Amino acid sequence: MFGKLALQSLLDRKGSVVLSLMAMTVSIFVLLGVEHIRHQTKENFSNTVSGVDLIVGARTGSLNLLLYSVFRVGAPTNNISWETYKTIANTTKVKWAIPISLGDSHKGFRVLGTSSDYFEHYSYGSQHHLSFIKGKAFHQVFDVVLGSTVAKKLGYQLGDKLTLAHGITATSFSLHDDRPFTVVGILAPTGTPVDQTLHVSLQGIEAIHIDWQQGVKMPGSTITQAELEQAELQPKSVTAFMLGLESKMATFRVQRAINNYTKEPLLAILPGVALSELWQMMSILENTLLLVSALVFIAACLGVSAMLLSSIRERNREIQLLRVIGAPAYFLFFLIELEALLIALLSCVLATGLLAACLVFLQDYLVSHFGLHIGINFLTENNLYLMLAMICASAIVAIIPSFSGYHQARTVKH
Amino acid sequence: MAIDLKDVNFHYPEEPNQRVLHIPSWTLSAGEQVFIHGPSGGGKSTLLSVLSGLFLPSEGQVNVLGQRLDQMTSRRRDRFRARHIGYMFQQFNLIPYLNAFDNIRLASQFSQQKKTPELHEEIQKLLSVLNISANDWYRPARHLSIGQQQRVAIARALINKPELLIADEPTSSLDPLNKEAFMGVLLSIVAENDITLVFVSHDLSLSNYFNRIESLSDINRPEGSA
Ligand SMILES: Nc1ncnc2c1ncn2[C@@H]1O[C@H](COP(=O)(O)OP(=O)(O)OP(=O)(O)O)[C@@H](O)[C@H]1O
Ligand SMILES: [Mg+2]
Repeated sequence: MFGKLALQSLLDRKGSVVLSLMAMTVSIFVLLGVEHIRHQTKENFSNTVSGVDLIVGARTGSLNLLLYSVFRVGAPTNNISWETYKTIANTTKVKWAIPISLGDSHKGFRVLGTSSDYFEHYSYGSQHHLSFIKGKAFHQVFDVVLGSTVAKKLGYQLGDKLTLAHGITATSFSLHDDRPFTVVGILAPTGTPVDQTLHVSLQGIEAIHIDWQQGVKMPGSTITQAELEQAELQPKSVTAFMLGLESKMATFRVQRAINNYTKEPLLAILPGVALSELWQMMSILENTLLLVSALVFIAACLGVSAMLLSSIRERNREIQLLRVIGAPAYFLFFLIELEALLIALLSCVLATGLLAACLVFLQDYLVSHFGLHIGINFLTENNLYLMLAMICASAIVAIIPSFSGYHQARTVKH
Repeated sequence: MAIDLKDVNFHYPEEPNQRVLHIPSWTLSAGEQVFIHGPSGGGKSTLLSVLSGLFLPSEGQVNVLGQRLDQMTSRRRDRFRARHIGYMFQQFNLIPYLNAFDNIRLASQFSQQKKTPELHEEIQKLLSVLNISANDWYRPARHLSIGQQQRVAIARALINKPELLIADEPTSSLDPLNKEAFMGVLLSIVAENDITLVFVSHDLSLSNYFNRIESLSDINRPEGSA
């Protein structure tokens, strides 16, 4: 009966109630949405690379190594000699090794020289391997495999020819235009930097640089495409490499051994550790976003309370009547609290529905335009607690009008 | 004795120097129906609030149905009021957005008496006795006519079977015909159930429904010595 009283009383003030309900719904929607996206991006982010035990590069900061090897951001300081790579790759504890060679680009997208092991061992998310939506891995020197974003943005199909540019800026004029590559494969979207990468073989990288010196094209090159494909294209160096180990237990030992490698200064990092360090640096932005949405929510709570407070003035007669039929003064306190709770609960339900609808509709868009994989299931334990906290917060803020109702009931006038 | 007042003084907390009630002694026996009249501003409504335990007297003893209201905690007074006293105003006796039925049900919630399964039937019976046609039972109270509202108010005041019914000018918003109907049905129910009635109005024409008629100025002498 008391629930019915609260509900009917809210229904009786539809206009102002609906407005505060909307404010509340939007604020809960924002808070839940931000929290969900925050979690998802964090998860995506820490899942950018998985199944790789160590990343090895020339000695530099560990963030720098992570950034250029995984995120294709920034520039490597030094290369590693091919011998060093071979030596370490052949160590007994190493199960597999993927060499990485960076430094070229195509229309703003980075080119990654690697071996076909890359498609076999590289994984992201919870051990998702790369898969092809079209074509297959590269086999010829001038084959290229495109990340899904590259293919979509630039409109490439299998069999298309493209030329790579030396350097990593979109406007790079030193084109390797005498040596076009053929698209042989397109990868499925991953939501990781792989989507924005063109993959060629190390031999391909070697081939386009064969008559370059110090970053400048030598004029009058005479070597033909056909000759190149026959030639023994032995890479002299790689930018970095990724290692998978026989046993996780050995990770730290191998890492130490690599860091103490005497012939060349090397750095080995654990991608998971480096990723979380990087995420820590982004947490200021993340926390700011969360704080702003929390403030929006508090504002909505205050809005609801202001609405309830002004309603109490209008409901003087009603309060007096309730008192006369025997309602104790504290009953008014709980009645107003109940009204606030009903609004908060209904807003939670509406916001949940709204968010679910938005995620369903926007999921494909986010993946294709931002490479963001946002799952639909946002009703995680964490978010349920968040909603509970929001309901509690709205009950706490509603103490103000509730107490006013109690006070009015105590000093009832006739 | 249904009501026994002794040396009751009352002033509003905001105006401590202006005594509104000073009642040396006043009694009403159980089952009696009294009509109290007096000028506007004379303190009639204030007296009724003291009798129902909404207001505590500044001084004096308020004995209602054998219980000292002035010695009860506010919680007990609220419960006592819910169980033993029915109260009616001049208007706004019903929550406007609830229907007649729910208004009466709400009043029964605060008495904390065992929920009788017959509550539903009891409400229906009361409403029929008070001439409210069945298709008006579930309409929001604000859609009922004033006369209907006041009759539903009788049902609301009586649902907890109070021993004492207090009515504060319940007829002043009714036209003469409705007034007569209202008084007729009110007094017959009160007589049937042996309910003590305190009826307050400045409309002296109503006094012929009662055999005990009092002027408030005889009971209450606020300007007398404190
Ligand atoms: N809440 C209040 N605070 C202060 N003074 C009040 C309050 N309510 C009433 N009074 C004063 O108490 C006196 C008695 O008022 P009361 O309402 O009891 O009169 P009444 O006899 O019921 O009048 P009416 O016939 O107009 O209803 C008046 O002088 C009034 O000004
Ligand atoms: Mg009055």
